[in-house]
Amino acid sequence: MKKNGWIPTVCYQCKAECAIMVRVEDGCIKEIRGNPKGRGKACVKGMAGISLEYNKDRLTQPLKRTGKRGEGKFEPISWDEALDIITDKLKALKDRGEAHKLTASFFPHSITDPKWRFLNAYGGFINTALPHCDSAKIVACIKTMGGVPNHHLPPAWYTVPKDGIMILAGRHAFGGLDDASVPLHILDAKARGAKLVVLDPIFTADAAKADWWIPINPAGDTAFFLGMINHIITNDLYNKKFVENWVREGDFDKLKDYIEDKTPEAMSKICDVPAADIRKLADECAKAPSVGVDSFKGIMLGQALDFGHAWNIFLAVTGNIDNPGGQPLPDLTPMSPVEPVPAGPDLHELGWHRTGKDKDTFSHYSFIMEPTWYQAQAIKNGDLKVLINSEANPALTEMGQKEWSDAVCMTGDNDEYKLELLVSYEIMLSETSKYADLVLPDKSYFERWELLYMPWFYNFETGILLRQPVVEAPGECRHSNNVFIELGKRLVPEYFSFKDDVEYYDIQLAGLGLSVKKLQDMGGLWSTRAMGFKKYEQSGGFGTPSGKLHLYWEDLEGANQAMPRPGLAPEYEVEIDKYPFILISYRTIFHSGAGQWTLNNPQLRDKVSGFFDNPLLINEAAAAKLNIKDGETITITSRTGQVKCKAKLTERIRPDCVGLAHGFGSTVGTTATMGEGVNDNILIPDAGSTLNWQDVVGGESHVSTRVRIEK
Amino acid sequence: MKQLSLMIDLSRCIGCKTCIVACQNFHGLVDYEAALPNEIPFYLRVESKREGVYPEISVNSWVVPCQHCKNAPCIKACKSDAITKDPHTGIVRINKEKCSGEKDCIEACPYNVIQFNKQENYAHKCDLCFDLIHAGGTPVCVETCMTDAISFGEKSLLRQQAQDEGKEILKKMSAQSILYVQNQQV
Repeated sequence: MKKNGWIPTVCYQCKAECAIMVRVEDGCIKEIRGNPKGRGKACVKGMAGISLEYNKDRLTQPLKRTGKRGEGKFEPISWDEALDIITDKLKALKDRGEAHKLTASFFPHSITDPKWRFLNAYGGFINTALPHCDSAKIVACIKTMGGVPNHHLPPAWYTVPKDGIMILAGRHAFGGLDDASVPLHILDAKARGAKLVVLDPIFTADAAKADWWIPINPAGDTAFFLGMINHIITNDLYNKKFVENWVREGDFDKLKDYIEDKTPEAMSKICDVPAADIRKLADECAKAPSVGVDSFKGIMLGQALDFGHAWNIFLAVTGNIDNPGGQPLPDLTPMSPVEPVPAGPDLHELGWHRTGKDKDTFSHYSFIMEPTWYQAQAIKNGDLKVLINSEANPALTEMGQKEWSDAVCMTGDNDEYKLELLVSYEIMLSETSKYADLVLPDKSYFERWELLYMPWFYNFETGILLRQPVVEAPGECRHSNNVFIELGKRLVPEYFSFKDDVEYYDIQLAGLGLSVKKLQDMGGLWSTRAMGFKKYEQSGGFGTPSGKLHLYWEDLEGANQAMPRPGLAPEYEVEIDKYPFILISYRTIFHSGAGQWTLNNPQLRDKVSGFFDNPLLINEAAAAKLNIKDGETITITSRTGQVKCKAKLTERIRPDCVGLAHGFGSTVGTTATMGEGVNDNILIPDAGSTLNWQDVVGGESHVSTRVRIEK
Repeated sequence: MKQLSLMIDLSRCIGCKTCIVACQNFHGLVDYEAALPNEIPFYLRVESKREGVYPEISVNSWVVPCQHCKNAPCIKACKSDAITKDPHTGIVRINKEKCSGEKDCIEACPYNVIQFNKQENYAHKCDLCFDLIHAGGTPVCVETCMTDAISFGEKSLLRQQAQDEGKEILKKMSAQSILYVQNQQV
């Protein structure tokens, strides 16, 4: 198979998965572009995909651990041997009634990703990056609107009308984590007369283009939005028609009572934004034809559930849901089920909770895909026995990664590892593979089939994208999806009667009159082309039990979260004297954060074409007080760790914050180990060990940590 | 005047470097299996400037390709007559066959945009994608810019376009053949 010419496929340098074109010459990738039939753009990471594909560190054969976990000593083995080891272990686990003690950690590219199907059929759990990702946002949207907007569902910026308002709250939209066309659409909207407002402690690339940068303090976002809600309701500026028709009866009155004392003046003290500015933006939002808000899990400190709640209420009282320029609520692509559909393990029946022995304390919260959020804790509790990892790098990028590696290396009474088997699929050896019992060579996104139809309007519309092999994989690489299908055939054959991944996708496409071949011939994209607006009018309501928006969450009354709490996340106020700065783990457009894809990529680490290493950003005035000079080596100390790195003095950050780019500090990989990059996770407490802070705010404070800086 | 040019809009450039990598790929500047960071040739670079102090600051970014100078110092410096300003397009080109690898052009270039290939001993740089544009294409940086911050065309027409769109031409930065513009400051 040696193809030539421009071939449509889908990027996977980050989770945005943009539609791209790849130019292939004699079986070699030469160039990459955004697909003009998709959104038309690719970012710098996408362009540098060629440096991933031909990286000299590509793994090409299965490896088996020979030394201890963490030593990184391996010998080559055959695929047959590797698959037999996994099959035997999984069979034994299931036979002893502990199938749910298997977790596979991966990024589900589709709702029916074959890896996920295997887990549901076998009875294991999925682990994604959700706890330190956007789980709380999703939960807030489900509770309020009955929909599932996640961080891949920003407002459709190309729908923003003239005079619309675009708010980025701690969201680096120019960082390329949504479709690569997002920056263009935001700038085009601005050119039409829309206004861009950025709330962020760091003056990001987005802030550089904003009409208004508001350097809010980390975790002040809930207070900021509550202050705006207070102003809008108190001054009778809310969207009465929308509220009357679409907010559940009684909820608006409860909201009015609740926000009575959440005045801009009171909220200003919490978020450190002048009350006049809160009022000004609230006035503008109330008058604007649309307001779109994009955020991730809130600003930095991750008061995520409260923030998601306040954000949803703000959208409701201004009527900015499912309207042009507001928050889209796209439908799912109508794919055909692959029968029989496996149900997956029943957490309730198993009496299982992600916080293990602490479940009585934390049972208020039900997130999605939550079972083994905290891998280290689950291993220690004996709840995680087999971990299969792909497209993730927990040994480097898990907060409190030392806790993770300690747990992975922990032995029981019999001197056996408590985590009985750790398998890692890798494109290149990573920090995580050092701990794996088996390292399996995965195919890159240029070498495999994949059907993508998550409900992410920006990338797929209400539609489908086809990832197809454009070049052959090196050595013995096999795509993890096909390995899971093979394991399915061995262990739960009743759910895996199809031949391979392509036949699996054909079944799902059949209801649309499509097949993989047909989709390929059409150019790899299919869409209804209609996102639809105010669909709730047509369908008679929202997806909530009442069909109306639920602003009041009665199920969280016991947790004091029936309404969003404005207070700062617990960590913000603890030991301020000892740790006066808030460390912000920030992202750039150059690195995806998951490890080797971008951090072991020479073009993306080059100082001219990428981002080399991660000195600590510190405000010039704050540095002067500490007598710290630009480029000087400093020590950063948190409650849980210490790192040394260079200081980079800048005006682009609040004086009480410092910034460290995430994902650096690898000890594996030719390029990844270059420079003086340091690992921010050394400073960040393990999620499972600080449940009382982190879980109660609906996520983790991984993006902000209290630290002190010393020369 | 015959002068092809790029117009770079500082109000749109976000400093993402997508153009740099796309340009490296198109011009075959990367040995993907051997490449190491900070050793990869480039025909474009990003520069940026901050004004003000926290919290009243502004930051602009822009890209710097070869400026295709009106009276290019590199042409004068080259003893092998390897560099010419194409009379039909105004593009300053280095003839690889004629280049003797003396690096005088690199010393002479006020914009630091000329690269040197050690293995094959020749200087090279941005030629506005000479072959591509003659076949009706646009330079790769223009085609791939994430925010449509770069336009390609005849300099006179780009200047006219900037004026029609109410863009301010940044005269100091536009001293040679590349135009730098931004939105009128209110």
